[in-house]
Amino acid sequence: MRTRLWVLAVGSLGTAVLYLLACRDLPAFGGLWHPYGDRAVHAALTRHTANTVSSVNFDQRSLDTLGEESILFGSVLGTVVLLRQTRDEDRLPPRPVRVAPPVRRYALLALPVTLLIGLYVVAHGQLSPGGGFQGGVVVATALHLLYIAVDYRALERIRPVGFYEVADAAGEAGYLLLGAAALLTGAAFLTNFLPYGTLNTLASGGTVPLLNAAIGVEVAAGVVVLLAGFLDQAVEIESEQQDTGAEGER
Amino acid sequence: MADDLPLLLGLLLVAAAGTGTVLVRDPVRQSFVMSLFGLALATLFLLLQAPDVALSQLAVGSALTPLMVLLSVRKVRRRARGERREERE
Amino acid sequence: MNGWIAAGAALLACGVAPAAGCAATGPVRRRVPAQNLTSTFLSLVFLLLAQGFHRTAYTDTALVLSVLGPAGTLLYVRLLADELADRPPRPRVLRTVTTLSYLAVPAVLLPLCFITGPGRAMGKLLVIGALLVCGSWSAARAVTAAATAGHTIGAPVEGTDDG
Repeated sequence: MRTRLWVLAVGSLGTAVLYLLACRDLPAFGGLWHPYGDRAVHAALTRHTANTVSSVNFDQRSLDTLGEESILFGSVLGTVVLLRQTRDEDRLPPRPVRVAPPVRRYALLALPVTLLIGLYVVAHGQLSPGGGFQGGVVVATALHLLYIAVDYRALERIRPVGFYEVADAAGEAGYLLLGAAALLTGAAFLTNFLPYGTLNTLASGGTVPLLNAAIGVEVAAGVVVLLAGFLDQAVEIESEQQDTGAEGER
Repeated sequence: MADDLPLLLGLLLVAAAGTGTVLVRDPVRQSFVMSLFGLALATLFLLLQAPDVALSQLAVGSALTPLMVLLSVRKVRRRARGERREERE
Repeated sequence: MNGWIAAGAALLACGVAPAAGCAATGPVRRRVPAQNLTSTFLSLVFLLLAQGFHRTAYTDTALVLSVLGPAGTLLYVRLLADELADRPPRPRVLRTVTTLSYLAVPAVLLPLCFITGPGRAMGKLLVIGALLVCGSWSAARAVTAAATAGHTIGAPVEGTDDG
């Protein structure tokens, strides 16, 4: 135990020293000199991607995004394993719920609008702020408006979890395959190999919109699967020992 | 100085909401403060002209994390209620 | 700093901060409406900042918040229905919150629309405004409905609890 703390202390001290040394050479906050920014903007414009952040995420440093995407994929997988239905747990169908009519109308109206906004954010990732991650989360949230508007049974009907699990994996695989497709052209992994298109149109940025779409599918499906685990545990799954007590409520 | 005022305001909001999130102990009340912390962070990101990050923060912080926290609380409370009933019987 | 950013900062200090303070303290019955008011005001701040920075693309943040903010409020109402039914919010508080958002949305959007001029950007502004107004209307209705449901059924836990 003592040795472990010493190793930690030495490691932290080393990191702190290196961090401080690195900070001394950083450009001042809010200055006019942006060595990385200028190069990133230049590279983004030569590749006809209007949103420089998307160009950095999905083109110039797309390998980093692959890592981030895999972290999300792995954590969703871990949550699904943790929240699974164990042998001493029972699944009881949830009771239907009466939602106030104005709330139901608003939520049912807001659902397609939110879905559309989410898809818009995914599709315009190369042009305006946003992209696969942001849009994917909005799309997943939109589906859960059905839980607010009607009840959990209605949500379950449009949400076959198996389908979303496959979509999650397909999104992750799509990103990898798009990266590998660059190898076929003789370029490096995840190179932007498609024609760049016209700046400031939907079909610009080469592989950026495609990678964005792959991330969008992965994130939306991943969040749906994640919330399905939480909702199942909170609404449906009862451990056996409390069945007698919970009967009155279910 | 006047140019930095909005940024200072954003930093203050983030500091206040962040401290509040740590200090509140009840998870249900904490979920409110945490979602406000998310909104404050999004404001700060937009003030620093980083809309992509602000959007990520908004998407995750405004509905998704409160939902996950509240569902966990519901599950834990239901289990506690079931156990209490069992003891009474 | 131009006038739009100054207006945004002023709304942040005098609108968002007090509303957020109400949402962070006190009983749940006050927190839920205050949370809705905070997100409405913040959407307007985002619109003002987008105009101040001369980046129309930044309005996307307000667009996303205008749908996710009410969604968050409705989630709170749904999952905290028991507490709201036990101690329902005062109608006066709800009326104040809705009135404030109904007043603030046109007060910010009209000048923005005027400076933007007709076109696609103005359409987006109007959509955001409509979403904000509908969002605060339905949030107030949802809170009232959750409170009255508890009164009529008597035992609040049974009627609204499906999770």
